[in-house]
Amino acid sequence: MQRTLIWDLPTRLFHWTLALSFAGAWLTSDGDQWRAIHVFLGYLMLALVGFRLLWGFAGSHFSRFASFWFGPKEALIYLQQVASGRAKRHVGHNPAGSLAIYILLALVVVVGITGVLTLGGDEQQGIVAGWASFAQIQTIKKLHDLCATLMLLVVMGHITGVVVESVLHKENLARSMVTGTKLADADTPVAKRHTGVAFLMLLLITGLALWWFDYAIDRQLDSQPGHIESVADTHEPRVKFLGRQLPDNAQWRDECGSCHAVFYPALLPARSWQKIMAEQSQHFGTDLGLDASTTAAVLAFMTANSADQHNTEAAFKIEQSIPRDATPLRITETPYWLHKHQEIAAADWASALVKSKSNCAACHSDADKGTFEDAAMQIPGPPLAKP
Amino acid sequence: MTTKRHTPHLLACLALALPLAAAANPILETYRAQAKQENAAFKDFTVAAGQKLYGTKGAELSCASCHTDSPKAEGKHVKTNKLIAAMAPSVNPKRFSDAANVEKWFKRNCNDVLGRACTTQEKGDFMTYVLSVK
Repeated sequence: MQRTLIWDLPTRLFHWTLALSFAGAWLTSDGDQWRAIHVFLGYLMLALVGFRLLWGFAGSHFSRFASFWFGPKEALIYLQQVASGRAKRHVGHNPAGSLAIYILLALVVVVGITGVLTLGGDEQQGIVAGWASFAQIQTIKKLHDLCATLMLLVVMGHITGVVVESVLHKENLARSMVTGTKLADADTPVAKRHTGVAFLMLLLITGLALWWFDYAIDRQLDSQPGHIESVADTHEPRVKFLGRQLPDNAQWRDECGSCHAVFYPALLPARSWQKIMAEQSQHFGTDLGLDASTTAAVLAFMTANSADQHNTEAAFKIEQSIPRDATPLRITETPYWLHKHQEIAAADWASALVKSKSNCAACHSDADKGTFEDAAMQIPGPPLAKP
Repeated sequence: MTTKRHTPHLLACLALALPLAAAANPILETYRAQAKQENAAFKDFTVAAGQKLYGTKGAELSCASCHTDSPKAEGKHVKTNKLIAAMAPSVNPKRFSDAANVEKWFKRNCNDVLGRACTTQEKGDFMTYVLSVK
């Protein structure tokens, strides 16, 4: 038995980058403001798996699929042997471990692709923006969540396996995946270091990250016609991740915006706007008294961009939440709004910067544009002390 | 000869009348013509009456509730906190330049403050006051 290089550098780099990416993607899956990082890690994982599939043929001996081509039956038998403490030591992947690897590779592909589709459909962002509607994407989104959870379970199983193996055969498998070496018989095939490939991988990963967080997010989005400038950009440490711009109308903005903040039509269904205009003589205590042509023009814009038209995620979700026979006149009375804002602390509502539930712009920096992007939302903190 | 004697007089008149003509608000003139038609006893609009109306409180509101005590100041919608640009054309030249808009706001705000439509006399007085604020 002698120290032998089993895992070449690219295999190890792949392994740990994928592990960290998955952990990062998992942690950033909930916070809307981390969406840009979450999406980046998703693309990165897809690229990593793409590389690993190639490396399964081009890599060193134990990195090749041919060295760990076991079926589920063999994996089960192996697990039984582990349970009874008689499992044979494998220098490369054991049958149970290889099964976990194949499942994980497949899951990354499924989670990655469903993620890109969800981004395109649910947020109308990314490379397939607008391919699918909000309604069509719901099942795919569930699949994304489900497979990600499944992936976490398989990862846990994988880690358990590594711990059990390490104890059973008295060798630190995790360290081997760092150093690449294991004690092996003299006739064991030795891996090539493949430093050049690893260097290239590292270069590509860093390059992709730099491009994404600098060029793709900041500069390219700035130049896109649909880009929306966030109000508090200079104070936002996080990466902007904003989608396309919604149609605008000067007359609507002027008429509605003269007394209150403009509420984008996508936040209520067309029937609500029709009712609001029909009841304009008692508009929250005021007679709007708009003439017929103004009324018609403003209503036309509102109905053309109402929640029924699904311009945004918020529009779709608000529309879905309203019972068919209800015609709410306040956005803050729609079930989706109530659900989405139920966890906001009373202190935040009472904040001098918020005050009213109709003050959407206090937290949504793009409220004026009507997009209500997840990444543009931030509850204002306490006002900064003046120096 | 006569022309020569009258020229300085005429020039003085023009010098006085031109700025006045420039300052005259066509919307206010329309109200003036309308008021004359409606009421044979109509004399003129007055700053004092307009100022009084500006400060008059209805059931809940006065003009000042949203527009502040001075038409020159930026106001705030009493219910929604939305900023309201100054009303006096001396500060905000866009005001009282679009007849339909002026009618719309008289209709809305007279209703809000007084619970009824304003008379032509009231509209004219109000405008005369706001236009006089320099």
